[in-house]
Amino acid sequence: MLKPEKMGKILIAAPKDLMGVVVAELHRQRLFHVEDFVEDRDEEYEGYRIGNPLEGASQTSKDLIRLRSVMSAFSLQPEEQKPKEMARASALKEKIEKDLPALEAEVEALVNRRQALENKVKEAEQKIEALSPFAEVPYDLSLLSGYRTVTVLAGHVSKKPDLGVPCEEYFAASKKGNLLIAAVPNAYKAEAERNLMDSQFQAISIPPETGTAKERIAEYTAKRELVNKEIQEISTALDSRKGDYAGFLAACEELLSIDIEKAEAPLRFATTDHAFIAEGWVPKDSVGTVSDGIIRASGGKAFVTELPVEEEKDVVPVEYDNVSFAKPSQLLMDTYARPRYTELDPTLVVAIIYPIFFGLILGDVGYGFILLAMSIGLWMFLKKVGGEAQQLVGVLFIASISTIIFGVLYSEAFGFAIPGIEPILPSRHLNIGGHAGGHGPEIPELMIMVIWVGVATITLGRILGIVNHALHDHGSHRVKAVLANLGWIMVLWGLLFLIWSFVALPLMPDLTGMPAVVLGMSLPALAGLVMMLVGILFIIRESALEIIELPTILSHVLSFARIVGIGLSSVAIAMVVNFIAIGLIIEPQLEHLSIFGVVIVIIGAIVFLIGHLLNTVLGVLGAGIQSLRLNYIEFFTKFYKGGGKKYNPFGTQRRYSEE
Amino acid sequence: MLLQTDVAVQVAEASQAGMKALAAAIAVGSTGIATGIAETAIGSAAVGATAENKDVFGLVLLLTVIPETIVIFGLVVALLMLF
Repeated sequence: MLKPEKMGKILIAAPKDLMGVVVAELHRQRLFHVEDFVEDRDEEYEGYRIGNPLEGASQTSKDLIRLRSVMSAFSLQPEEQKPKEMARASALKEKIEKDLPALEAEVEALVNRRQALENKVKEAEQKIEALSPFAEVPYDLSLLSGYRTVTVLAGHVSKKPDLGVPCEEYFAASKKGNLLIAAVPNAYKAEAERNLMDSQFQAISIPPETGTAKERIAEYTAKRELVNKEIQEISTALDSRKGDYAGFLAACEELLSIDIEKAEAPLRFATTDHAFIAEGWVPKDSVGTVSDGIIRASGGKAFVTELPVEEEKDVVPVEYDNVSFAKPSQLLMDTYARPRYTELDPTLVVAIIYPIFFGLILGDVGYGFILLAMSIGLWMFLKKVGGEAQQLVGVLFIASISTIIFGVLYSEAFGFAIPGIEPILPSRHLNIGGHAGGHGPEIPELMIMVIWVGVATITLGRILGIVNHALHDHGSHRVKAVLANLGWIMVLWGLLFLIWSFVALPLMPDLTGMPAVVLGMSLPALAGLVMMLVGILFIIRESALEIIELPTILSHVLSFARIVGIGLSSVAIAMVVNFIAIGLIIEPQLEHLSIFGVVIVIIGAIVFLIGHLLNTVLGVLGAGIQSLRLNYIEFFTKFYKGGGKKYNPFGTQRRYSEE
Repeated sequence: MLLQTDVAVQVAEASQAGMKALAAAIAVGSTGIATGIAETAIGSAAVGATAENKDVFGLVLLLTVIPETIVIFGLVVALLMLF
């Protein structure tokens, strides 16, 4: 809790001929995070070289490329397949040898044939396109070209032109563009073209065809249909092959990918002529399992030892170690940065305060239940897929419960006051449409409430900062860093004491009545001032430049006002929707109900639904992003560095195949 | 005479309330514009970055909303003025 999983460093040394066995065992365990060997980096590894891939790697790559080309012809995504049953690896390998070449040849032939047919369709379409302007022309197209003394001009014009030369012309007006065909003796060609310019003449080339355009178009269309039908047949054939082989192909893909991953593992090991060394990380409590497994697999010929971890020098991979309630929040952590191995892992804290912020902003029983239903539905849907999407839904689930709880505390459901429940938190019921539900809004109280939230969050952040520095810094720097963090807390609270001594605020201690001691200042005011000065001194001792950051004490606390701002705007939209739908549309109709009135009432109900749907979406986006931002910017900047390396053990989760 | 002062007071109060509402509107409106201007640059850079590498989506979404602080301060000022 609050710490990443403890890691142990393992070194494996074995003769080179056992490399395959060891790699297979490591792959099966899925626990060993390989520390890549870099030549000429460490002195103790002088003379070692990067290993060569295991035997058969190039053949496997070739097979995999062929397999993937078949899969892409089927447009088959391995992730989309639902695994039916695990296939035995040995059986699969046999099948790859036997069936894959035939399948590949068949698919390739089909795809090539389809490609050729598609080209034919394109060709026919181009011809139809070229013929279409002449569709209404009653002449044989062969009559329009091939003269020695006469030029045939064809094109679109804006209006019927006067060519002013002796010619024979055909003009057809239409909406798509007026077509003009003119046969002009060569001698007058230049003049005719000049005159045509005035009527925006756009030349069209005359297709080299015989027969009227209409006939030709009909002919090409028929041809195209025929070819399309054939393409359809090929696609159906491919689809049926896809149906037959999808599972097999997905399993083969997985098997070959795993084989390649295994075969290329030696590229990350240090080798000599006869032996190899692999360094890596495993979770502390699995060290025994891993070393026992390797020794057993190698028949006692491999040497496995645990190395001491030097936290200063080693980049230890980080794996979260959280209670299941906090697991979805790991996504929020990874979006920012994974914690370093040596610092506190604040996932649990985030898992608690993120939903609180979310609930404080959205706080509405109605919206809460919508989100709850949505997240449960999505959870069911995503159960098989897993991964980040599911984590996101997990975050939404917890946030929606928090929204319901805060909805009760605010006494809000779809913007209405919940009858019979007095708001425990300051009321957010605005006065919209002339009837404020219950209390009016208590804006100053809300503001002070979120300022308390801000003060609490920032103080917690600084305390975590103190813990971080106290645990992992050394010498004088440690003292300075701890004191500086304490200094920030003192400045913040000193300022609060000063404010309390001079201004009476709701929901805050009122110290204005205390008798003045010195310079018109009471005891608490003096204490506050001293705290601030000492705090600033502590901050300067660590780094004088930090002084320019002092205003962030104010701005970061005030930034929490967004909780009220966004929350109120969400309430306001909800109330406006209610007022428009019910107050303006439905209620007036209900007074004198008529048939027409029923229609209006239905329209009112639709407005109500769409309005609240929109507000739910806006609310989730606003509350989700702003809560995250408060976490990242106002909270994390106080103590969190991040930038740890992800623990990524060697191996693959098998879904389709087994050894 | 008394009636006249009464009316004058009412007018003055109404105009005060109107001024308050206007001030609140300016506070929200101008900060909204400022946020918009600030977010355009970040937003376009964010979309570009996401197109290059979609892993950064979460991060750039956050960067994009950072200037929202401005409009929220405007909203806070407006609310305090109105209530």
